[in-house]
Amino acid sequence: MTAFDASVEMRPKLVGQRVKRTEDPRLLAGSGRYVDDMAPKGLLHVAVLRSDQPHARIRSIHVGEAFTVPGVVAIFDAHDLAGDIRPAIPASRMKGYYATPFRPLAEGKVRYVGEPVVAVVAESRYAAEDALERISIDYAPLPFAGAKEEAAAGDAPLLHEEAGTNVIIARTFARGDVDAAIAHAAVVVKGRFRMTRKTPMPMECRSYLAEWDRRREALTLHSSTNIPGIICDVLGACLDLPGHRVRVVAPDVGGSFGGKGSLNHEEMLVCVLARKLERPVKFIADRMEDLTAMSQAFDETVEAELAVDGAGHLLGLKADVIGDIGAYSIYPWTGALEPVQVVSFLPGPYRMEHYRGRVRGVLTPKPPTGPYRGVGRPTSTFAMERLMDMAARNLGLDPAEIRRRNLVTAEEFPYRTGSGIIWDRSAFQDCLQGVCALVDYPALLRQRDAAHAEGRWVGIGLASYAELTGIGSRIAVAPGMPINTGTETATLRIDATGAVTAAFGISSHGQGLETTLAQVVADELGCRMDDIEIQHGDSALVPMGTGTYASRSAVLGGGAATKAARVVKAKVLKAAAFLMDVAVEDLEAEGGIIRARSSNATITFRDVAHAVYAQMGCIPHAQREDLVASESYDPYLGTACASTHLAMVEIDPATYAVSVTRFAVAEDCGRIINPLIVDGQVHGAVAQGIGAALLEEVVHDDTGQLLTASLADYLVPIATTMPEIEILHVEAELPDTIGGFRGMGEGGTIGAPAAIANAVADALAPLGIEVDTLPVTPERLFRLVAAARNATSD
Amino acid sequence: MKPARFDYVRAESIAHAVEVLANAGGDGKVLAGGQSLMPMMNFRLVKPSVLVDINHIPGLDRIELGPGAVRLGALVRHRMTAQDLQVARHIPVLHHAMKHVAHLTVRNRGTFCGSVCHADPAAEMPMMTLLLDGTIHVASPHGTRTMAARDFLTGALTTALAADEMVTAVDLVPPAAGTGWGFEEFSRRHGDYALAAIAVLMERADGRVRNPRIAMMGIADTALRLTAVEAALAGREGRAHVFDEAAELIVASITPNTDLNASADYRRHLAGALARRALSQAWDRAGALSGGDTP
Amino acid sequence: MTHAMTLTVNGLTYTGVVDARLLLSDFLRHELGLTGTHVGCEHGVCGACTILLDGRSARSCLTLAIQADGATIETVEGLGRMSDLGRVQQAFRDHHGLQCGFCTPGFLMTITDMLRHHSLDSDAEIREALSGNICRCTGYQHIVDAVRELARERGPLK
Repeated sequence: MTAFDASVEMRPKLVGQRVKRTEDPRLLAGSGRYVDDMAPKGLLHVAVLRSDQPHARIRSIHVGEAFTVPGVVAIFDAHDLAGDIRPAIPASRMKGYYATPFRPLAEGKVRYVGEPVVAVVAESRYAAEDALERISIDYAPLPFAGAKEEAAAGDAPLLHEEAGTNVIIARTFARGDVDAAIAHAAVVVKGRFRMTRKTPMPMECRSYLAEWDRRREALTLHSSTNIPGIICDVLGACLDLPGHRVRVVAPDVGGSFGGKGSLNHEEMLVCVLARKLERPVKFIADRMEDLTAMSQAFDETVEAELAVDGAGHLLGLKADVIGDIGAYSIYPWTGALEPVQVVSFLPGPYRMEHYRGRVRGVLTPKPPTGPYRGVGRPTSTFAMERLMDMAARNLGLDPAEIRRRNLVTAEEFPYRTGSGIIWDRSAFQDCLQGVCALVDYPALLRQRDAAHAEGRWVGIGLASYAELTGIGSRIAVAPGMPINTGTETATLRIDATGAVTAAFGISSHGQGLETTLAQVVADELGCRMDDIEIQHGDSALVPMGTGTYASRSAVLGGGAATKAARVVKAKVLKAAAFLMDVAVEDLEAEGGIIRARSSNATITFRDVAHAVYAQMGCIPHAQREDLVASESYDPYLGTACASTHLAMVEIDPATYAVSVTRFAVAEDCGRIINPLIVDGQVHGAVAQGIGAALLEEVVHDDTGQLLTASLADYLVPIATTMPEIEILHVEAELPDTIGGFRGMGEGGTIGAPAAIANAVADALAPLGIEVDTLPVTPERLFRLVAAARNATSD
Repeated sequence: MKPARFDYVRAESIAHAVEVLANAGGDGKVLAGGQSLMPMMNFRLVKPSVLVDINHIPGLDRIELGPGAVRLGALVRHRMTAQDLQVARHIPVLHHAMKHVAHLTVRNRGTFCGSVCHADPAAEMPMMTLLLDGTIHVASPHGTRTMAARDFLTGALTTALAADEMVTAVDLVPPAAGTGWGFEEFSRRHGDYALAAIAVLMERADGRVRNPRIAMMGIADTALRLTAVEAALAGREGRAHVFDEAAELIVASITPNTDLNASADYRRHLAGALARRALSQAWDRAGALSGGDTP
Repeated sequence: MTHAMTLTVNGLTYTGVVDARLLLSDFLRHELGLTGTHVGCEHGVCGACTILLDGRSARSCLTLAIQADGATIETVEGLGRMSDLGRVQQAFRDHHGLQCGFCTPGFLMTITDMLRHHSLDSDAEIREALSGNICRCTGYQHIVDAVRELARERGPLK
């Protein structure tokens, strides 16, 4: 059975090739256009005075002589904006959830260090920062619980009194009788796993420029967002503007990884200020502001118990997850996005009957957590894959073997997990076998054993996982969220010159979608890639488009593009058939040329377009159609994307530094549109996973202050951190999506932390050390080893 | 992150520079490479009223080998120190240490003297200056003076430099012929500030350690010269257990800070581990130089 | 306090008046409109703002505009144009050495310096040469591939 679309399969012209990116020349020549590259006439700059308190009532704000600073135009606090903008409400249908209102500036009290309180508008950022130094805020400090466990307690001080609790998210997923499974299991392993807080840290900081058009009374926001459609809709609602008077444009965007995928205080702020002042207003976050106040990531503790029978088959899993979601439930995803995903995905790609996962999302005085590459699954995979290795060790099984015995097999698809996720047609087993073959796993084990014999700390770690990508309308990307994330629209047009324009609601910010979607359109339409312009990142392009997130754009955008291209192609061929006086069935198109199979007569797209649009009467008016189409695509269920990662590490016993000496990935992302781009996505995501495993950690101290406010303190991988990454693409039976595409791009961040944690634990197995907290820093390893040695000497 | 307002003066000469500093009444700052100063100004942690740019003062960008000392002028960039053949020949331990100084682009601008003046407790140049019995040459409107490195470095990011003074050069004493060296540094990533580092010099005669010199950084408010350990090591046999003892002495004698990256306990462990390695390296190299004098 | 200055950027000479505190990065971007140089951290860690100052790579965020008085500056705009990419730019395109493109100009300028002045004979040397520039997209592998090819073309440093 072939699941893919035959028309693509028969003419694989561009899809599947290592096509060089169309984005690159402008970005390489310094001709890209990021938000901060724009400077309209009359531009004003904003600097923001931020809370230095984790939780405090604002008694008063003293602006004092700030107005006398040369260049200062205006100063605003929340009172000055009352009536100009409504708060955004991150709604969800989840039971017992409280949607924290989200405002441009703190009103009444502050809830985290870094929350915006006062905005200074000036002729330059330099002048605006001068004014900040002259403003003082009188705070009445309020008690707070910084740790999520304390904040969840019944008597904890409340961040949002209206909620009546800090625990605004509580859910349980269950199937079967996990307690009985645990009670009767041959082996039960358990642990308390903690994935610390991260920050997405895209290279371009958050950047916003709002322009108010006095003539149309219309607002344009240029934003470094990856969800322009969603931002446009919420701003329209908050500012009381209809859709045709508010537009959000994301030009070139310097990475996001999720950090630019939510509504930001400052995004609202520049819009309301531009309308008030009737001048363009720009806010460019500096790095300290991004590290302090961009949406952050992960930060869960997972207490889990895994029951296994004597042959290493999984019986049941019980987990209690508590997620620190920060001070606000983020718009639009809510604070449930990250922790709920942990319990949804915790059972992993494995066959297992009994499951109970309980999750709580707790408000704490920290920046809100939001989407970050992998969402929830880096934590769930870390916990589950550690438990798998612990069970294997307990049973004397090889880690690869216990996975082989439990990964869902091709015959079992579709398989519903204990949390209700449906896995279908994905190369779970093939990826495990593939990665082992790629690295010659038995040889690697011998290498490790030889190193152990020399007393060296060398270890190998595996991590298998699956993710849902290209999710359609059956489930919302975030739990209970009333926004349609399941469809995507493409509007395709051929103009009188024969040029093809394909417009989307997606918003590429480094993924190369201008290239990959052009490959899809060119193949489907039969035109040249050079004739196509892909437009994206602009809320005005299509009636409804949400953006690029959750590994959806190739699946949904590619599907919509394919459908629209088919409609337009039919129109082109119909016109060509008339012009050439042949039957439409006789025609085929390739490289911009339409050819009659019977006669070899040809006509170009350009000539057809000219005839349709420019030559009046050339085509009888009853038959003439514009060469346009707008189609949407909804993959409904979405696709599963599977992978196994393998890491080999060596730990320096003197410094406790972990070096990653080998890293291999076998992954199944369906039909690959562009292997060059897929490899790049894997490399980049693995780098972020290695960062999460070894380096990256946002640290707030006991007083709620951020200790990692510079890039000298928040450590991300550099070139010397990274090993060469070996990749094997496994193409299993293709999913039931148009084109056979699966989403990809997040996986590296999901698998790498677990693989490295397992490798480190393997290296230290002679000492009986288990890794339960990431990143596994030299400091943490030092403590683990010291504790293990003390335990042995006792 | 934009600097606060300041006046900028491009100094024509040392005399001009110190005159501007004197007139600034304590609020002046010297701008050389700017690789430490400018970040602090961008964060507005430092807000000088006057910035004295010494980059155009002639004659300060030289490395000169004089009798008994190598002199590095105030505009000697890290890149120049790293590539200087006289440094490589006469002070190989410094040549090696330069590989650990930040990254190549930072080395293009950052200066040896600037790093010593910045006095970061986890930067290499103050430690190397201590190790190499450095002398700091200082100018002010009242004339010039010299200070021993140990008197110059007074604490974390603080020195004995007066408000109207600038460092014009640092003299380093090259080790005697036959001296072995060891250098060990550990940082979270290549080029980051060190969690701890150690530099060692020693000579070797009759199977014994002679004239050991040991400097460390990252383990106190300033870089340290470990004179007590040097005294305990001098004259001892060059054997592994002796170096272990010296390392233990180091661990026992330091009181490192706990910070984001490392606890005091871990730093103590690290200091001992790096010391063992560096002491052995120095001994082995000294052996190589003195021609097969093995214990 | 403002100062008159003259400098050469990508072969063109500019004369003007700048505030003492204006950073070179802001001067290039907002005064000269050369927005190819990007600002990623303003504390000298990320390398996105790297330019060549008198032929050597430098952080433009840690340099005052006035310090460039009399200097020769090269920025990414000087390496080549969209229709006529320079060699380093082309190698990045061939090897997919960029994704979002924000760190890219800093890498291109750093590599230009390294190709002129530094040994790049092994992957270890290449990675060390790149270690002062942060890329959050690529995991560095394709950048290393591009530099390996460039270093091979260049041959051993004389």
